[in-house]
Amino acid sequence: MTVLDPRLQEALDGERDPASLPDGLREAYTRLTGVAELLREPPAVSVADRVMAQIRREASVPVVSPAGAARRLARWFARPRAVTLRLRPAWTLALAAALAAVVLVPFREGVTPGAEEGIAQFVGHFPGARSVEVVGSFNDWRRGALALRDEDNDGIWHGAVVLPAGQHEYMFVVDGERWVADPLAGRYVDDGFGAGRQNALLIVRP
Amino acid sequence: MKLLVALLLAAAPLAAQSPHARLEGRVPAAAMAGIDSLIEQAAAESLPTEPLLQKALEGGAKGIPVDRLVNGVRHGLVQLRDARAIVSRATPTRVALDGDLAAVAAALARGLDPRLVERLLAAAPPPGEPPGPVLHAAADLVAHGFPADSAAALLRTAQQEGLRGPRLLDVAVAASHELQREGGRTPAQALARVRAMMPNVPVATPPHPRAVTRRAGPGS
Repeated sequence: MTVLDPRLQEALDGERDPASLPDGLREAYTRLTGVAELLREPPAVSVADRVMAQIRREASVPVVSPAGAARRLARWFARPRAVTLRLRPAWTLALAAALAAVVLVPFREGVTPGAEEGIAQFVGHFPGARSVEVVGSFNDWRRGALALRDEDNDGIWHGAVVLPAGQHEYMFVVDGERWVADPLAGRYVDDGFGAGRQNALLIVRP
Repeated sequence: MKLLVALLLAAAPLAAQSPHARLEGRVPAAAMAGIDSLIEQAAAESLPTEPLLQKALEGGAKGIPVDRLVNGVRHGLVQLRDARAIVSRATPTRVALDGDLAAVAAALARGLDPRLVERLLAAAPPPGEPPGPVLHAAADLVAHGFPADSAAALLRTAQQEGLRGPRLLDVAVAASHELQREGGRTPAQALARVRAMMPNVPVATPPHPRAVTRRAGPGS
């Protein structure tokens, strides 16, 4: 512990004129009285005020850090919130029906044939055609059941479908009116209606 | 499971439809009585009715006039009778399935000689082996200009080499490829080449499943 010089102590106590102190003590007196003045003054801003000012400052500064934004987003998602749900029965039923349709209706693309099925691929060159469909014994000769596609408009229409293994007769119907036996079928069979017309014959392999 | 139930529910009414119901609205009303009669005859003779129904639907879709449409169905019935007669002679101990008769009828419709059909069927087909592939393979070979006897002999060799079902179609494809090779081959040379490569004839490659759609079935 530092012991004060008695003369300095007397000057601080007001019992001695500070001017009468030697130079070194007078300098020490001046510093100590300055510190005492500082301690005597109340703080200009309270601790609470400074904390709140800092919070306001942070809130007003735009977030530029991606990591900070991610943290804020994560906190937003993780924080529990009260949600008020108002349902209209009609919309709820429509939503349920849509979900059921998505679940129940099989995807039509990318299917895999079963053990007694095979893949039939159809390709036809019909430049300028507006539509080409395949009609045959596999779809009860029903129109509109299997349309071919020509995405790049090069006149080459194509499609592939899973069919039961075995033989199937078919025809292309071009633009909804012109019946054409698939020129690339390789197998043909008389259609039996007496005009010498032939159906294309398809043999699907399992 | 839900999908299966839904498909069964959807398929049940279709399967239960009578031939008459399936034809209504699809063929001219004036043709209905004649077609119904032919289908009833086929059923009474235990012949398959589906090929006749399909022929009627085909005629209706193509807009074939009524008389020719009914004649076409009648022609189909005659072919089925011929098919059963051929199958009975070729394999008397075997019960002819509907699919077998349809395959034989199709082979006849493709112009295959009935005697050749009978010979192919009688040539010791493996038990339970459907006749369709060997008949179509023979019809393919004949259509490409191979003599009928040579075609039948090649297919007989293929069966002896253990090739079955659709692999017989590969034999016909290989023979036609050999025939079309650059430089030219005679049918006899092409058949000899295929005979030499047996049983390792090339296998046809199926298309990629990603581009495939499932068929739209009857009633869709």
